[in-house]
Parts: sequence; C-alpha cells; structure tokens
Amino acid sequence: MPSADLTRAPAQKIVLRSAEFRKGRETAWRTLDDFVSRVEKKGIRHLSADELQRLPLLYRATASSLSVARSIALDRNLILYLENLVLRAFLVVYGPRTGVLEALGGFLRRGFPAAVRAALPHIALATAAIVAGVAVGFLLIESSEAWFNALVPESMSGGRGPASTAAQLRDREIFAPWPGFLESFVVFANFLFQHNATIGIMTFGLGIAGGVPTLLLLGYQGLMLGAFLALHYNRGLLPDFVGWITIHGVTELGALILCGAGGLVIAEKVLFPGRYTRLDNLAKQGTAAAGLAAGAVLMLLVAGIIEGGFRQLIANTPARMAFGLATGVLWLAYFRSNRDGAGDEPAA
Amino acid sequence: MNQRLDRINRFLDGVARNRREIVTPEGIALEADVANNGERLTAFLIDFLFWILATVLLYLVFALLVVEHMSGAVAATIIFLFAFLLRNLYFIHFELTTQGSTPGKRIVGLRVIDRKGGPLLPAAVIARNLTREVEIFLPLGLFLSLPKVAVGWNFWLSASYFGWIVLISALPFFNRDHLRAGDLIAGTMVISVPRRKLLAELVETQAKYVFSRSQLDAYGAFELQVLEEVLRRPASAETSEIHRQIAGRICRKISWTGSDPSADALDFLKAFYTAERGHLEREQLFGRYRSDKADQSSGQR
Repeated sequence: MPSADLTRAPAQKIVLRSAEFRKGRETAWRTLDDFVSRVEKKGIRHLSADELQRLPLLYRATASSLSVARSIALDRNLILYLENLVLRAFLVVYGPRTGVLEALGGFLRRGFPAAVRAALPHIALATAAIVAGVAVGFLLIESSEAWFNALVPESMSGGRGPASTAAQLRDREIFAPWPGFLESFVVFANFLFQHNATIGIMTFGLGIAGGVPTLLLLGYQGLMLGAFLALHYNRGLLPDFVGWITIHGVTELGALILCGAGGLVIAEKVLFPGRYTRLDNLAKQGTAAAGLAAGAVLMLLVAGIIEGGFRQLIANTPARMAFGLATGVLWLAYFRSNRDGAGDEPAA
Repeated sequence: MNQRLDRINRFLDGVARNRREIVTPEGIALEADVANNGERLTAFLIDFLFWILATVLLYLVFALLVVEHMSGAVAATIIFLFAFLLRNLYFIHFELTTQGSTPGKRIVGLRVIDRKGGPLLPAAVIARNLTREVEIFLPLGLFLSLPKVAVGWNFWLSASYFGWIVLISALPFFNRDHLRAGDLIAGTMVISVPRRKLLAELVETQAKYVFSRSQLDAYGAFELQVLEEVLRRPASAETSEIHRQIAGRICRKISWTGSDPSADALDFLKAFYTAERGHLEREQLFGRYRSDKADQSSGQR
C-alpha cells in the first residue's frame, strides 16, 4: 500500500487513507443498502436464501467499517451514511421474525398461561378483594334491602330491586325466553363484552395509581354481586340465581380477577421499585401485566358469548351449574398447560 | 466520538434533534433521532385513514354479501367488531413484519425499537398496540356513546372520559423520549430513521495546487466539513459565487501566493479540500485531532 504521506512532498498522485478505505468497501455497503431497502419495503421473506446468509456478514462488516470510519475519516457524508446504514441494518438483523398469527398463537399457547402462573400472589389478593366485597354486600342487603338501590346503579339493576317479587325475578330474569340467535349471540353478547371489558381494563389501568383503586373497584364488583345474591336469597331463589350467574360468572369473574392482578403487578412495581427505576420496572413487567389484561379481555369475550347466548338457551339450574363448573375446570387446565413449553417445543 | 459531529450537524442541519444512544449487541454505539410529536401524529393520522378505508371496504363487502335481514343494532355490532379487529391486526401485523414500521410510519420515516437496544419482541409489539385501545379508542367510544348533557352523573362521566383522553394523549409532550403510555408499558420507543444517500467522493486524485503544512494548519475539522457541504451543493450561478467568495477568503487566511484562483474557484476548493482532509486525517491518526480553527490543543507547534 502506498504511503498516504503525499501532501507534503508534491507529487502528481494523491492517495488518502480514508478514500482508499472507502474504495475497498463501498461495494459491500451498497449491497447491504440494497438488501436492507428491499427488506424495509417488502419484508424479510423477499430475500433469497443466499442473500439471507450474507446479510449478517455484511452487517458486521459494515458495522466495523463504521468504527474505522469514525476514527480515520473526516468525510461527514460518509460517516452519517454509515451510521444510518448500520442502524437500519441493525433493525433488520435484530428485528422481529414472527408474523402476526404466530405471535398471537404463541401468546395464547404459552404467554398468557405463563403470565397467569407468574402472578399467583396478585391473583390471590384480587380474589380476596372480590370475596370481601361479596360478603359485605350480602350481609348488608340481607338485613336491609333499602341499601340495594344505593349500592347498585340503575343501569346494572335493570328494574330488579327491593320491589321485585320472586315470580318477576324468575320469569323475567332467570328463566327469561331466548331472544333469538342474532339478538343474543351478536348484539347482547357484544354489549356485555364491551361493558365488562371497560370495567376490566379500568381495573388494570388504575393499577398505575398504586393499586388501591384497583382493589376498591374489585371490591365494589363483589359488593354488587353480594347484593344480588342477598336479594334472591330473601326470595328463596338462591340456587336458581347461582346457576344463572355461574354459567358465565366463572369465566367473567376469573377474567376480572386477572385484570385486577395485572393492575396489582404494575402497582407493586410502581410502589416498590427495588433495584431498578420505576420506568425500567414498567418496561420489564409491563409486557407481562398487559398480557394478563389482554388475555383476560379475551376471556371476557367468551363470557359475553356464554352470557348473551347460551345462558338463556340452557334454562335448567343443574345444567347451568355443570356448564359453569366445566368452564372453570377448562380454564384451570389451560392455565396449567405448556408449563415447560420451551423444553417441549423447540420450534417457534 | 460521536459528539464530534454534533456541532457540525447542528450548524448545517439547523434544528437540534433529541438523540438517544443505542448500543448494539456487537458493542457499537449508534445514535438515533427520537421521533418528535409532529412526526408521530402525522404517521398516526395516515394509519388512521388507512384503517377507516379498510373498515368501510370490508363492511361494504360484507353488507353486499348478506344484505337482507340485518337490523341496525346487528349492523352496528358487526362494524364495531370489524373496526376493532382490523385496527389491532393492522398495527401488530405491520410492526412485526416490516421492522417496526406501519405504512404511515414508513411514509414519515419512523421505526419502533426496543429502548435498551435489544430485539423488538412480539410481546412488546402486541402490548404497545393493545394499550392504544385503553389510551384512546375505549374512552373515545364511551365518550361518544354517552348522551351529551350539561348536568348530572352522565356529565361527570363524559368529562372523566374526555379528561382521560386528553391526559393520556398529552403524555408524549412531557417526557424526553416522547413516549406514549404503550411505549412505557412495552419498553419501546419510536425513532426517526430517514434514508441517507452515500454521495460521491470529493477527494481529487491529481494535485493541481500544493499547500504547505502551515497553510493547512489554519483550519480544523469543523471548517473542513462546512467546506464539504458547500462543495456538495448542486451547481448554479449562486453556488459559483459562493465558491468564489470562499476561495478568496481561504487565500487571505492562508496567505496564498500562487496563481489567482478566482477563475476556477471550484478546482481550487477541491484541491484545498483534498489537501486539508489528508492533512487533518493524518494528524488525527497521530492523536492530534483538531476540532476547528480556534482549537489550540494540537496542530500549531
């Protein structure tokens, strides 16, 4: 290689080390640029097997070119180009490799059950809040039904209250006629889903405020359930009402508890950051907690379909209870499934 | 290392951008421009438009196929379902398959990345997009579905939904990296990655002018890179005039005694650029980096 030291001794030919460096590597950079541009436009599948193999090699070569260029070259355009190219190639080489269906499938198969298993203490706390609410609500209304209208808002009670008679409750609510396929499975189920999802997501979102609002909201849901239980208990309808609520309630309450647990996970990390900063904690735990809430919202969709459609189709208390119990067993089995999925299925 | 380019970038590009350093697994520090709020809003509006178009199209197809016996409530439910599914699948699909950019983001030149420089995981993409539901669409839907009254319980409910939307949408304005709530939860951030072009090498291969060492010591890297930018400008009468002025200034600064360069200012400037760059790069290799003409730490001995 000729010496770069030619500017002092006047000669015809000029050789700059940085210019030589660029000349030797420019082809590789341009090839990488071409690969990266194509991936950005059409996705990684549009590279051939051979090109795919060369991509990481070119990326590493260009990354080391950048390091060299930063220390030997003063060409601003060159350094900016290499920084930009390495960043774009980095995003391609370390970018996500899964499609939307694979990602969602992986979440349903492993991510959601794993998130549930990881949050058992939070789930216990959320359950305790609901149980406490149910107990308080039941005791309050059982002794004095005058509290009912104060506890349960108009939109929830739907005409039910201290004035309702046992016959009214049985015919209009528990064994009301099935309104038809579209009305029940589409419109009513969707209404229930939206209502429940709103409450579930609020329970989750309020976790950022330290968890107390989450627990209060969960407790209040329990309180309303307890109030309804007492209302029916006083009219001798408790078994029928339990059947009416169990068929979807197992799924619905389970989902609500999971939403609450997700909120509590976030609350714990915000209140007790430990060795990381709160922001880092949120980034570390937030994905799992959001997964908990997202899975719970899917459960609410199932609950909405059961409540809107199947509940009035199965007009029989023991069958409803059996159905509810079966859903509970299925959910438990699901949450316990794929426990060491990484070992079992190396694929994906 | 990278700070060396900061001053010249600020000088030549005008605006000072908020930058964030990412360290790749190979240990190379890369600087990325944090996307600003305007860019993110533009990208979102483009995606929003695509989403509305797709929803309307899908609904029209569906309505044409099963046009009979659909009541208003059923139709509304179905369109809500379509809108929900399309919206989320759209964002998640594109952010997964095209390296963290949706069509709107690609038009504006934005990318979603992991804040720590690690790989962008599918879970993070799903989390940051589902959070958008809670941030905007859910409270917006609730807000629109409530009757607009000036008093009572419903008023306060509407007000709280509206307040929620405003507070959450304002979040990117109150942190350095312009993170929205979904980015906080998923540990991601959005950067601006405009495509840069590699321009032609400016260095000459033949030396038409010869400069002495003391003449080349008059300037530093900053002046060299300003000269580089001037030389890369497209040719025009205005540019030639600027070239002439600069050549005259350099001649005065380095006490040029050779032939008058004003006739072919561009040639003179290119030759000077080549000589100056060769000189400064060699000095840099020997550990004597000279940042600008006022830099006394090296060079003039």
